[in-house]
Amino acid sequence: MFNLSSLVQKAQSLIDPTQALNISASDRNPAKSTLFRHQFRLPDSQTPLQEITAEITISPPVAYAPNATQGEKDKDRDRGYHYAGKLHLSEAYLCFSTQPTSFLQTASTSTSSGFTGQTHGAGPGGNGFTLPLCAIRRVERLHSQHYQFALAITTWNGVNSTPSTEASKTPALQQKITIQLAGTRQACERFCDGLKKGLKSGVGDVGKLKKVVAECYSEYLLSQGDSKKEARKDITPPDAGLGMIFRYPGDPRKLRDRSKMRLWGEYLRDYGRNVTLIRQPTFHKLIRVGLPNRLRGEIWEQTSGSLFLRLESPTLFSETLAKFEGRDSLAIDEIEKDLNRSLPEYPGFQSQEGIGRLRRVLTAYSWINEEVGYCQAMNIVVAALLIYMSESQAFFLLAILCDRLLPGYYSTTMYGTLLDQKVFESLVEKTMPILWDHLVKSDVQLSVVSLPWFLSLYINSMPLVFAFRVLDVFFLEGPKVLFQVGLAILRINGEELLDAADDGAFISVLKGYFSKLDESAHPKSENAKLRAVTRFQELMVVAFKEFAGITQQIISEQRMKHKDSVLNGIESFAKRTSIRNLGPDSKKLSVDDLGSLYDRFYQLLYERQQRSQIILDETDRRDKARRTKAAEVVTGLAESQVVEKGRVGLGPSPTLMDYDGFREFLAGMARWAITDSPSPPEKDAASEKAQHSYFGNSVKRRETSLSPWGYGNPEPADHEFMQRLFRRWDVDMNSALTLQNVVTGLAHIKGKGDIMGSITYFFELYDDDGDGKVDREGILRISEALLFLSRRGLEGSLTPSASMTGLSEYEAGNPNPNQPEEMQGNTNERFLSSVSAFIRRCFEYADPDHPQNQVAENTTSHDLIDPDSFGIGDDSDEEEEEDLLDLVETSPTRGKKPTGITSVPAALGKGESRNRSVSKAHAEAANAALDPSKPLHITLPTFRMVVLADELLEQFFESSFPASFRISDRIATPVPSSASSLTTFTNIGFGRSIAPQISVGGTSSAGLVPPGKGLRGVLDNIVTDGMRVAAEVRRRMDEAQKELEKNAVHRPDDEEEDEEGYDPTHTSGGYNGDAERRSVRSEDRDLLEGADAEAMSIRGQEGISEVKQPSASRPSLLERRSSGDSSKVIEFER
Amino acid sequence: MAEATAPKPSSSVKLVLLGEAAVGKSSLVLRFVNNDFQENKEPTIGAAFLTQKCNLPTRTIKFEIWDTAGQERFASLAPMYYRNAQSALVVYDLTKPTSLIKAKHWVAELQRQASPGIVIALVGNKLDLTNESSGSGNALGEDGENDGAEGENDDGDARKVSTAEAKSYAEEEGLLFFETSAKNGTNVTEVFTAIANAIPETSLKGARGPGATQSSANRSEDQSRVNLTGPRDNASKEGCAC
Repeated sequence: MFNLSSLVQKAQSLIDPTQALNISASDRNPAKSTLFRHQFRLPDSQTPLQEITAEITISPPVAYAPNATQGEKDKDRDRGYHYAGKLHLSEAYLCFSTQPTSFLQTASTSTSSGFTGQTHGAGPGGNGFTLPLCAIRRVERLHSQHYQFALAITTWNGVNSTPSTEASKTPALQQKITIQLAGTRQACERFCDGLKKGLKSGVGDVGKLKKVVAECYSEYLLSQGDSKKEARKDITPPDAGLGMIFRYPGDPRKLRDRSKMRLWGEYLRDYGRNVTLIRQPTFHKLIRVGLPNRLRGEIWEQTSGSLFLRLESPTLFSETLAKFEGRDSLAIDEIEKDLNRSLPEYPGFQSQEGIGRLRRVLTAYSWINEEVGYCQAMNIVVAALLIYMSESQAFFLLAILCDRLLPGYYSTTMYGTLLDQKVFESLVEKTMPILWDHLVKSDVQLSVVSLPWFLSLYINSMPLVFAFRVLDVFFLEGPKVLFQVGLAILRINGEELLDAADDGAFISVLKGYFSKLDESAHPKSENAKLRAVTRFQELMVVAFKEFAGITQQIISEQRMKHKDSVLNGIESFAKRTSIRNLGPDSKKLSVDDLGSLYDRFYQLLYERQQRSQIILDETDRRDKARRTKAAEVVTGLAESQVVEKGRVGLGPSPTLMDYDGFREFLAGMARWAITDSPSPPEKDAASEKAQHSYFGNSVKRRETSLSPWGYGNPEPADHEFMQRLFRRWDVDMNSALTLQNVVTGLAHIKGKGDIMGSITYFFELYDDDGDGKVDREGILRISEALLFLSRRGLEGSLTPSASMTGLSEYEAGNPNPNQPEEMQGNTNERFLSSVSAFIRRCFEYADPDHPQNQVAENTTSHDLIDPDSFGIGDDSDEEEEEDLLDLVETSPTRGKKPTGITSVPAALGKGESRNRSVSKAHAEAANAALDPSKPLHITLPTFRMVVLADELLEQFFESSFPASFRISDRIATPVPSSASSLTTFTNIGFGRSIAPQISVGGTSSAGLVPPGKGLRGVLDNIVTDGMRVAAEVRRRMDEAQKELEKNAVHRPDDEEEDEEGYDPTHTSGGYNGDAERRSVRSEDRDLLEGADAEAMSIRGQEGISEVKQPSASRPSLLERRSSGDSSKVIEFER
Repeated sequence: MAEATAPKPSSSVKLVLLGEAAVGKSSLVLRFVNNDFQENKEPTIGAAFLTQKCNLPTRTIKFEIWDTAGQERFASLAPMYYRNAQSALVVYDLTKPTSLIKAKHWVAELQRQASPGIVIALVGNKLDLTNESSGSGNALGEDGENDGAEGENDDGDARKVSTAEAKSYAEEEGLLFFETSAKNGTNVTEVFTAIANAIPETSLKGARGPGATQSSANRSEDQSRVNLTGPRDNASKEGCAC
């Protein structure tokens, strides 16, 4: 009927930022700020504030000449490199890229496809820089004829190394960037103002900067270079990974590490290091040929942006470790299992040193991102990182990996992994159709082969040295690299793969290929140069040349396309598993029911989370304070990510339902759980305004969703009964229900439709201290609950005929055409009377708490329980009914009382005179019982007996109570109705139009009655106030006794009526007005009672209603025929 | 050894290993395929693929073994691997009761979702950590009288799952049942041989040979029947499906 996939349209993209362009959850356009952050690898605290077209000039650093003339400065500008592009300003960063990019909100979405540039927000492509404002030492405004508006920026480049002991020797080199702004004077001024503001607030971070930079190997490297003569042995090099202790993988000579190092040294000296690095064409080339070992970690950190995370909270790693020291978690157990088996072939991980580092990084990360915790494969990736970088560096890089580069890969459902496999397959199909056909034909599942490539970044697929080369490019250019390399592997091995007929052969071809990556790609070539090209080099060329067309955008599109099917697959798996593991109680419910319950449960939790998120966003928006918690910075929940949080397929989703959720859950299943007095919908100006001010152009559907129950959903009631039910189901006593709790709870109610079970269940709900007794208050509460549960009509119709058809019929949802609606209405009224009779009987048969009362009570009750007493009970029932009707209607109807009394069925006439007298005795006893000065209680057997004494109550417990939980069919289809402020059945779509499908067995008539009208309204109001009804019932009962006594004498016998007595015109009428209702009521009532009486008479004829007198000592048996043919044996124990 | 015999009908059987993390799935495979044991095996990422032949008197079974990752979150990948599997090895760690619960979940999943007629073997691994490890070299699946073994669980025995408990569950569900040690090789080849024998002739791809009746005959075939001599080269590196 409904499933989670339907929510997808509502939900936003987690995976693809571009998709989130359409719907935004905050006042900023999240897609653009996300793209901006991704483009420049900025922490999530950053948003694009300003941007301006600019041209930068990067001059090779010169000896700082403070007194240079203006002319010299101009000359500086003429030298060096010039780049035109866009300059961006965020809260704490100044970024430049030559790629045409724009992230301002003002840019319309239509241009968004064009503005993302080649990297599509995936990485710092193009030339440019990402400069923390705290790394800017000075900004000068240049006044010159050549330039309208130009800034000269001096950075803190080499901040730690400049004040060398012999400062006089070589003047420190200063990095200088000249920026020429192109724009209107106003725009330039505005940009400068923003920059000024940012610089001011960045001043305080210089200390952090120094600390972070000190851990960069480049600083050490350049400090050595600065003063070549006396290599400064005094400075210990910063930690550049385990490789410094255990050697880096591969032969340094073969890797030409030394010459790479030299080239990098030059580059870093000329164009800035770590935070002040400027990307130029050489930078990208140097990365493609492979990073030198000691700089690898730092450049990874720089290109991936984890450096900026570290800059933001340099001590987070050690703080996290300290904070959680000694604590235990599932993730830690899992980590411990794998510590000894992470890259075991690398000597560093055979030592305690390496294992200790690995442990600390994985553990710390599992604490700051508990949703991910630990996933196998992370150990391998982190182990690889630790060869080249310090623990703290690896920690932040892991955060970037999990949040940004490999979204959802390591989540608890691994949907990201599965999704990217699908994407990869579709790319193979597109780019290599022949190979794809072959795979399909020979039933080789590609993802089985390629999944480890992606999940562990080729680290355990290729020899380490080559995997690291892939990583070099991956951190710079983003996730597309994984796809490009994967495609290239298949392309290069295409022919051999076409010969492989099964998974095994397929795998061994690839395995063989990986083991020969270092061999010549063209061993037989004449050309020596060509012969020198290794297979790995060939792979890189194919990956980045031939598959250059695989852009981040294509991947994003593909991800979007396959996302639903992947998530649905995961969710159906999760559902299957979860349902199967629900335990023995779940067997009492059908598989379909369990499935529906599962859907309901998780859909509800999901929707509630969505709503609270939206509400949260709204409050967030209102108090604009944007402090960023440290944890958030690292876990990096982008706004777009938050939107779909809670979906089962995406990973950890809520599994606990609180009481409010429970109310809503019940309201989705049972009509009685919907409130009668909905709070006025929050159609305030705030949401209206919100829509205009910050919701994007396509978010209309959210407009009124600020109601805690969601737009268009009925507001759940809050009744004591529901609280009791909640407490009863909450077996773990943690004020929240799991799916298991819910299933177990429902299994006990719906179970096998066993009447004794549900009576016991009900009784236990009200037996607060579990002593098997329910006191006076409890009895009244039970009766309130009965009225509460029945106030919208009862499931199925409480007539003998209906009870014969049994539970199955209305569960199947077949409307019973023979069931006139009027009859239903009357049944409800009769139920009311049954409840009132119930109270009376409870008091009659109650056991006093004090021994002195006991004597008197016992004699009375023993008297009462004889075979005929049931007749009497039913008899007085009828009178009670009249009484209660009176109660709930208005006083003028009182005049009808005599007519009501004429309706006593003939079948009950037998032995009437005797009944009269006995019931008089009853009345007295009952009145005595009502005396609050005499505490009393009923026990379960009494309760059972009282329930079974009444046809309607019996049916209620046998069928309609269990059936009122409609698990499999939807109770109401929320139809967004425009103006109505009342959540009534009619305007939530429970009215006529939908009734045939959704309502069953003649229950619709009750639904058609608008609350507040006539009986229902009055009753509903009463029910909402429990104590009032209790008092009312009590008062009425007293009156009823009097009436009973008064009228007892002239009760005429009534004729039984035939089926033809039904007036078909009434069947569709519903309660259109009090007058009409009253006019038909007595007739219908007679009719019903006739039917009822018929059943009674059957019972009477068969003479089964015999009750053995229950005594305090021995168990007695009450055997009784129900209206159908099924007989029941009921054991009473006292 | 057995390689020398006349060409017998050969058919391949897809076998998938499932079970909680670190119960020894990969180690069982490594023992079976390479007759080797590694103390610190890298966790399996996704799945590993290995093959090994198993020679029965009348036919040769080539196992295509899919060794899956055990961590809970990898579970949603499992359907990808057990697709079309004709047999499954559901492994638990007999020193860890929770792993048996997980194994039961896998059995249920397989019974409902995998190909019908899949042959499932329940395997309690790490028998070497218990006291009776040295004595019981024979398949517990054969002689039901071995139940008394866990009566002597007193002195430093790490066993937490009794043979009787697991065995009765296996019987209930109609599973083959073994307790093994990948470390010292106890019962490992027996498991695979038993599976090979239990695979119905009809479900074999390209099975041509006669003799559908030998299913019970070879339960106690010893290791010589199993080709351990020719480990596939692609099995040399574990944890890699490439």
